[in-house]
Amino acid sequence: MPLVRETVAQFIESEGHKVDVSPVDAEGGVSELLFRTRGQVFSVTTYENDPATFTISTAYEIPEWARERGRNAETLADAGDDFPEVAFVMAHDGGLFIVTCDETPGSPEAFTRSLWEIVARVREAGAYAIEKIVDRTESKVAAEKFISSFMRGDQ
Amino acid sequence: MDDTLTGVESALDDEGLFFTRDDDDEAYRIAFKSEGDRYFVVAYRDDPSFLMIGSGWALPAEIDTLDATEVANALNVRKKFVKTALWEDERDVLFTVELCVNSAEEVRPHFGRLLDVLRDTAAEFFDELREDEDEEDI
Repeated sequence: MPLVRETVAQFIESEGHKVDVSPVDAEGGVSELLFRTRGQVFSVTTYENDPATFTISTAYEIPEWARERGRNAETLADAGDDFPEVAFVMAHDGGLFIVTCDETPGSPEAFTRSLWEIVARVREAGAYAIEKIVDRTESKVAAEKFISSFMRGDQ
Repeated sequence: MDDTLTGVESALDDEGLFFTRDDDDEAYRIAFKSEGDRYFVVAYRDDPSFLMIGSGWALPAEIDTLDATEVANALNVRKKFVKTALWEDERDVLFTVELCVNSAEEVRPHFGRLLDVLRDTAAEFFDELREDEDEEDI
């Protein structure tokens, strides 16, 4: 029987994408498959001991000027309400966040059939969250600028 | 120009995509897939500043070609970069981006965007036709 990671890696390659396979926990049969699509790197975690379960994730870098950890955690929690099928996790001291989706399609073959739909969902959720973070920070900066010039009597 | 498509090869490497070359006496050609969909890039030897990136699709049998032409026209009016063309006899649809470049290296920083717009245009074309079909069925 082919390994789960091989089935999934072969599928992604057959769809046109280069895949980098690396063991996360060789003993436990956990591997990470990295590939790039539409300019974004995605990771698929496969479990040889649990061939029905997969995890897809991707990271979004938060622009330096928008790194307000507390506020961004709140924004990610709000985004989580809008995309309940994915999880948002802040990482690297607030410098980036990771969008993760756990899937249990039942088999590697079933997973490959829905892979691009899951990727699209994760991408949509990530893009939505980063837009919210940037919008919120921009609005806040604009409001602060207005208030400070108002306090100086410029307005 | 030695090889017009070297810059496109670099762009495909940047995107993490496999590709194949299939040059002939007339043209330089690249074929590749992204998320399972097939694309091509072509530059003609006698017109090396012309570059075309595209994807071809078959029109499903149930789709009326007049409806398809209408949707294609609407997309041609609205969409940046992409030309949508129908080969009625073959029932093929071609989505292309046609560019004039000094070197394909100029395309490299914009390749992801061009690929996105090709993909989105094809998706919109078929989505709109499906919606039209659904409305007719009601």
